[in-house]
Formats: sequence, structure tokens, C-alpha cells
Amino acid sequence: MNRALTIAGAELRLMLRSRLALVGIATLLLLSAIAAVTSATQMAAAAEMRAEAQAATDAQFKAQPDRHPHRMVHYGTYALRPVGPLAAFDPGVDAFTGTLLFLEGHRQNSATFGAARESSDLVRFGQLTPAFVLQTLAPLLLVFLGFASIARERERGSLRALAAYGAGAWSILVGKALALGVAAALAMAPAFAALGWAAVQQPGEAGIAALTALSYGGYLLVWVLVITAVSALAASAQGALVTLIAAWAIVVVLVPRAAAAWVGVAEPLPSRVDTEFAIAADLRRIGDSHNPNDPHFAAFKAKLLKRYGVTRVEDLPFNYRGVLAQEGERLTSQLFKDYAARAAAIQNAQTETLTTLGIISPALAVRRASMTGAATDLGTHLAFLAAAEAYRYAMVQKLNGLQASAVASADDAARSKDPIADRRTRISADFWKTIPDFDFSAPSPGERAGAMAMPLAVLALWVALAIGLFAFARRRLERAGL
Amino acid sequence: MSNPVLVIDQLVVERGGRRIVDGLSLTLAGGEIYALLGGNGAGKSTTLFAILGFLARSGGGLTIGGQDPATAIEAVRAQIAYLPENVALYDHLTARENVDYLLKIADCRRSRAEIEAAFLSVGLAAPAWEQRAGSFSKGMRQKTAIALAMLRDTPLLLLDEPTSGLDPAASADFHALLETLAARGVAVLMVTHDLLGAADTADRIGLISGGRIASEWSAQTSEPRFDLNALHDGFARVR
Repeated sequence: MNRALTIAGAELRLMLRSRLALVGIATLLLLSAIAAVTSATQMAAAAEMRAEAQAATDAQFKAQPDRHPHRMVHYGTYALRPVGPLAAFDPGVDAFTGTLLFLEGHRQNSATFGAARESSDLVRFGQLTPAFVLQTLAPLLLVFLGFASIARERERGSLRALAAYGAGAWSILVGKALALGVAAALAMAPAFAALGWAAVQQPGEAGIAALTALSYGGYLLVWVLVITAVSALAASAQGALVTLIAAWAIVVVLVPRAAAAWVGVAEPLPSRVDTEFAIAADLRRIGDSHNPNDPHFAAFKAKLLKRYGVTRVEDLPFNYRGVLAQEGERLTSQLFKDYAARAAAIQNAQTETLTTLGIISPALAVRRASMTGAATDLGTHLAFLAAAEAYRYAMVQKLNGLQASAVASADDAARSKDPIADRRTRISADFWKTIPDFDFSAPSPGERAGAMAMPLAVLALWVALAIGLFAFARRRLERAGL
Repeated sequence: MSNPVLVIDQLVVERGGRRIVDGLSLTLAGGEIYALLGGNGAGKSTTLFAILGFLARSGGGLTIGGQDPATAIEAVRAQIAYLPENVALYDHLTARENVDYLLKIADCRRSRAEIEAAFLSVGLAAPAWEQRAGSFSKGMRQKTAIALAMLRDTPLLLLDEPTSGLDPAASADFHALLETLAARGVAVLMVTHDLLGAADTADRIGLISGGRIASEWSAQTSEPRFDLNALHDGFARVR
């Protein structure tokens, strides 16, 4: 081990004395620091803005005057997705999925206000975040720092000289890998500092932050081992560089994009327009609650009249319009729920396939682990949509129930012509204050840790493969007499 | 010959299915300088690589200090200082850092004073000690490497074309250094094309041909030490 440490020290000294390596490390450190600061600033601003907007929209809803409950159903409210606990480290899909939902009766709206739609095209290219730096740029820097570590020694004849001085293949490989590992740790420092800072701010996230750090540690360990092994196996430093650049382009750039495109084709998600048309068609099939001749609602009315032993809706012990609205909302919401569940099932299947495809690219696995840990993954967004829909349904049904129980049927029927009856249909503004605010919490650290198990297992597999390649390189060097 | 440092007995080494060394025998005692001459591809460097354990032998015997590289490679390498044709110093390190580094790799502790004394004894001036090896001439690199060999204090020094590219004065300096090492009891095996240099320094000269030592000459006690005509004729025949 002493020899390996000595070799690592000399390699680090070479990096420090090489302008190219120094510029590379300094550039990455600078980018990491800028990414950490800008991402933390942006996410803090987004969190503050969303919290303020949520509070404002809640206050506006509660400040509504006396109103007919169905007016409030259409007035609606807004749900804003809160910023994930570690979003400053990895904003994940936050910029692409929309963060604002308008919640109203009869409709399930799409999320709007995604940064990618609101900002320049650069956001679509990839935000400069600590996660992006670690996933994409750090491996590239490691390639440039490490491609020649052993190949260079072989080319200049010093590899055999080292062996003649007593350094075996294992010492040389471990020493070179250690030096590259130190460079990797240095490159990770600002990003990890950002992660640590987020964990300090939210102590409950410390465990998840540690798991996230572990996943990146594993990811960069794979690169360190592979780069060192390729440098040992390649016939020349140039060959090692070409091989490793190609590997970076395939693993980090090509495969994640190709995999995303492939799962989109293999498990297609209907477009929003197609879904809207399909929902509209299904709504027509369900029926129109405003049409007295609609078969479904006519049957619903007949059943109700029979149950209460009356012949007219006016004789029911509640306001039929409110109950009708509840039934209509129940049916449409079930439809929305079914469509949302189908879309979520497809998206979850796509995500699972992408995780499985992590077997051909550790970049995919680390992305999944990172976004899941930060609660900025698609799963968290889908959970937000489900929570918002549940909130919308409960709020609308509560208002519909209020119409059924607190608004007299006769007043409701006459309110368009009789201002006094109209006044009587209005519910006190105090009631709006009793409706709870929308509150969404990201999956708990325990749930997220569970969801990280699969990508972490894939990363562990990659570490094992990299160790295998490392051991193979050792055997090759030993066979060459080292 | 008492306590030979290097014993090669009917050594056979094959590369790519071809016998490069074929029955080479050689014994070298401490304090002796042996120059191995031969044409390109005659098997000179292959012999050195077999001694260092970089190449496995197909037949014959080989021991260094009584140890066989096939079974005790670390122990064998601990007894050898090796200078390849292009002295493998690290350009980004100074002479002192190179020596420090390679001594640490060899697990050999030497004080600062010992290192400086070694530099002085090989004629490496003090200003060069803190210069990076990237700016060194081949002569300076060799002096640094010889200082390193002296500091390691190994019983056997292997040299591969040590004087190629050196001017006559530097070559003479280098041979003087070898004599200093030999005087300290180090056995020196030198692979070279430099007939005159070998004749000037070596105690014995072997001419390798067909993978074995075809002719061997020993130095006379009086001048001229070798019959240069005989050496030249022999060398010309095998080339």
C-alpha cells in the first residue's frame, strides 16, 4: 500500500504541475461552485415564490365574499408544487413538468409554468446544477486527467523501470486510481458542499443526502476504475483517450437520450391533446347532468325519487342540484382519475425501464438515484398531481354538498330571476375559511430511500464490473512482467 | 569465481514463437563489468528483460544473488538497478524528487545528505538538483540514474545502451562512473553497441550471436586491455 500511496503522490504532483490538468480542475471547481450557488439561489427564490403564491391564492379563496357554492366551485383555487427538499442540488424534472395547477370543478387541468417553457432554450439543453456537473462534466475531466496515467508510463519506458524498482502491477494501478480518486473528490467538493448545506438546512434530509453522496461516489468510482484500467490496457495514450472519450459520449450523452427516446416509442404516452379529446368523448358518453333527458342522469334522478318516495325533485329533503353536481363530479373525476392512473402507469413503466437500462449506462442509474433522493423525480411530480386531484375533488364535493344541504331547492331554482332568492343561496364567507389549504409533502426520506434501492443496486453492479475490468488490467500488466 | 552475483546457464527465451535467446550462459561476479555486444535483434535486451523478470524463460537456469526471478521476482528486483536506454526519469520532477520518489518505490530510505553526496560523486552539480528532469541532457539523466543506483546499493547494475546519444566526453564520464561502482563491488552488465567504450571499461566482453555468446574476451592486465582488431572483426562478423 505504501508504494501505491507513493505512486499516487507523484501522479498528483504531475497533475498539479501540469497546466492542462490544473486548468481542467480549476474550471470544474469554478463550474461546480457557480452551479452550487446559482442553483441554490434559484431554488430558494422558486421555493419562496411558490410558498408566497400558494399563501396568496389560499388567502384569496378565503377572502371571497358570500357566494353561491357552485360559484366557488368555478372560482377554484391553485396548487403549487413545493420545491423538493434537495432541489438545489438536483432540480430534476422541476423545470419540465410545470409547477402550477388550477383546481376547479368539472375539469382536471394540466400543470403549467415549467421553467423550460418560460425560459430560454438553454434550460432545455441542461441546467448548470451540481448534479449536472457531477453526472456529465466530472467524468469528462477525469478522462482528461487519467487517460494517460499508465499509458504514458508505458510509452516513455518508465512503467518497466517502476516495476524494476519493485512496484508491482497492483501498486501501480491502485496508486494511479487513488490519484484520480483524489481529483474526483476535489471535483465533487463544491457539489457535495451544496448537498451538505441542504442537509444542514433540513436535518431530516441528512440520511438521503448521504445516500445521494454515496450514489455519486459510486458513479465516479466507476469512472476512476475504468479510466485507470483502460489506460493500462490501451496500446497508447492516444488510443486510451479515444476509447474513453467515446465511452463518455456513449454512456453520458448518447445512451440516456437514446434510452429516453426508446422508452417513449416502446411505451408511448398519449399526447395531452389526444388525452383531452378522449376525455371529452368519454364525458359525452357518461352524459350531461344539465340535460334532463340524458339517460344516465334521468336514471339517477328516478332512482333518487324512488328511494325518497317522491315524484318531484323539489320534494326531496335536500337540494337536488347539489346532489346532481356531486354525482356529475364523481363520474367525471373517476374518469380523470382513470386517465391520470393510465398516464402515471405508463410514465412509471418508462421510468422503471430507464432504471433497468441503467445496466448499459451508470449515468442513467445515478440520475434516477439523484432525482429520487432530491424528490425532484417524475414519481414525486405524479404524487403531487394525485394529491392536487384528491384535494380538488374533496373541495368541489364539499362545495357541492353545501349546495345540497344549505341552499334551498326553491331558491336555487329562482335565483336567476329573484334577487332575494339569489341572496339566500349565498353561503357565508366564513365557510370558505373552513376549507383546508392545499398541502403537499414530498415522499418521506424513508420512502425515497426505498425508491433509491434499485438505481443504487444498478450502480453497485457497475462498481463490480469496473472492479472486474481493473482486475483484468492487473492480470494483463502482470502477464507483461510487471 | 567466488559468490557470483549473476548466473545464467543455457538460458532460452522465446518471443512470438521465435527463440531470441538460445542457450546463453554467463556468470558475473561482484565488481566485474561485462559488456554484451551484438547486432540488432541478437537478444541482448531480451536477456536483460529475462533477468528482470519481464520475460519468462523457456529453458535454462537464471539466478541473481541465488534467487530465481521465476519464483522470487520481488527479491530479484530488489538486487538490481536497471538503466534503460532512455533513462526513465519523470520530467515534471526535479532530480532530487526523482531520486526521492524512486527510492521510496524501492523501499529504500536515504537521508538528504546521502542523496546529495551521491549527486556530487556522479558529478551532478548542485544547481541541477532542484531542476526538473525535463530540462536535463541525456548525460545529466544518466548521472541522476547512476546516483540512484549508488543509493540503492544493489549488487547488480543492468544497463541498456547507456552511451548511445552521448558525446565522447560524457561517454568517458559515464564509464568512469561505472568503474567507481564496480570498485564498490557492484556487478555491471552492460548491453551496448559502443565497442570502444566497452573495450575501455569492461573486464569482459561477450559477443552475442544466434541467441548465445559466440565469443568472449577478457581484459588484459596491461595495455592494450583488448585486441581491438579481434573485437572489431568479431563484431563485424556477427553484424
